[in-house]
Amino acid sequence: MIEKEDDVTLDEVRARMKAAGIEIAENRLEMVRRLLSDALAPIHAVDSRAARTLEPAVMFDAIRSAEPRRDDDDE
Amino acid sequence: MTSDDLAYATIADITNHYRRRALSPVELTRALLDRIERLDPTLHAFVTVTAERALADAKRAEAALGHGQDASPLLGIPVAYKDIYATRGIRTTAGSALLADWVPEDDATCVTRLREAGSVMLGKLITHEFAFGIQFPGHRFQPAKNPWNLDHMPGGSSSGSAVALATGLVGGALGSDTGGSIRGPAAFCNIVGLKPTYGRVSRAGVITLSWTLDHTGPMARTVEDCALLLQALAGHDPADPVSSREPVADYAAPLRQGIRGLRVGVPRAYFLEGVDAEVEKAFEQALATLRELGAAVTDVEIPSIQTSWAFLAILMAEAFAYHEHDVRVHPELYGDVLRERVLAGGLILGSEYVQAQRLRSRLHAEMLEVLGRVDVLATPTTPKPAPTFAAVWDPSFGFPKSNMPPFNMTGVPALAVPCGVSSEGLPLSLQIAGRPFDEATVLRVGHAYERATEWHRRRPRI
Repeated sequence: MIEKEDDVTLDEVRARMKAAGIEIAENRLEMVRRLLSDALAPIHAVDSRAARTLEPAVMFDAIRSAEPRRDDDDE
Repeated sequence: MTSDDLAYATIADITNHYRRRALSPVELTRALLDRIERLDPTLHAFVTVTAERALADAKRAEAALGHGQDASPLLGIPVAYKDIYATRGIRTTAGSALLADWVPEDDATCVTRLREAGSVMLGKLITHEFAFGIQFPGHRFQPAKNPWNLDHMPGGSSSGSAVALATGLVGGALGSDTGGSIRGPAAFCNIVGLKPTYGRVSRAGVITLSWTLDHTGPMARTVEDCALLLQALAGHDPADPVSSREPVADYAAPLRQGIRGLRVGVPRAYFLEGVDAEVEKAFEQALATLRELGAAVTDVEIPSIQTSWAFLAILMAEAFAYHEHDVRVHPELYGDVLRERVLAGGLILGSEYVQAQRLRSRLHAEMLEVLGRVDVLATPTTPKPAPTFAAVWDPSFGFPKSNMPPFNMTGVPALAVPCGVSSEGLPLSLQIAGRPFDEATVLRVGHAYERATEWHRRRPRI
């Protein structure tokens, strides 16, 4: 398979595996490389400097930021 | 009424039969248990059939009906649960060898709510492994078969739920949807599936795939049945940290208001790219039907929609966080493909996960802005009909682009409704998405479309 310029390479997959302490069978690496390439393409395509004030949605709420838990939630 | 008519009766129909004393919950439950015994060895929709529990529930419902207690529209309705919903005293496998013998001590909140509404529990339905993998040949649990063509997959991961509904084995079912796992199987099996707003229906007691993308919701044979199930499920649950306190609307009553004057937006970029010609034709015909019903249909743009696929980085990173211990210690208990999908999540950098969540913020803001100008969005649910098992078992199949994750990324409600049939006889589906917590309008549009068409009445030959 021909890799696109912005694709994750097999060498990069191996480097990431080493850093994360993760072992993946050699015959599965191409599948993992394609999965990572697909997942990271929109992220690598964006210049994050162009939107410095954009906050991450790590506490996701469909309308607004998640409401703080109330004391009676634990009852 | 033929036995097929009985099996395919809607929840609303069943309730009417009960009230007229034309049918009893025990009679219906026995008929469905017989049907499951006859058909499920071919379909593999069920992991566990809870016959004794079902008959006990049915007798309780029958007694309540005898005492005139028919206030709940789900009283005596036979349902089943995707096997990632915890069920007290009944094994919950998640389609995984890791949990093959796990028997929970408590019910998931959704299970409790449907039980309290008087439903009859028929059993647990097969799911793709941990709602993320695919059952390859030799997997501990066999994959459910698509009743429209047994060589094709029924979609996933709520595969058993969709197959059981499409073949008249249950009256209603629950699924979960992280990137389309309610809507995809609904689309491929010609049934209706609703992914409610994030926070609308509790996730407590449902096995996690991705905390910020997971949604729970109803699957049924009609939009009205989905509305009736949602009515029982919706509402704040202190056991789910992201459960919303938004008031619960009336979902059934507004269904018959029609859609004259409603504004339907069509985001063609992304959602119409790479779709089959047959899918596009069916979609355009569905838009024409919505216009005939009085809706104003216009094209809309969501500027950063192409970043939607950052969804996959969030899903993979969160799935790895959930599974890290087990997949490192017991990799042999994970099926092929799922193991590598989970491990690949451990290769995503922290900064990449955060960037994905930043893209999500922008997409969310744009989605809300567009939904301020139109009442709902309409798209094809899937770009293609159901693929064959042979295709998805090919290692090069990967994780194909989908029209459903943008609504998991933004948390807005999205409904899949049957809208056509391919030249191969496979179902096609229309997706309708709406504003946060405005399931009522989404269901209203779906119901109006359904009443104007016959697609949802088609039954597979089994």
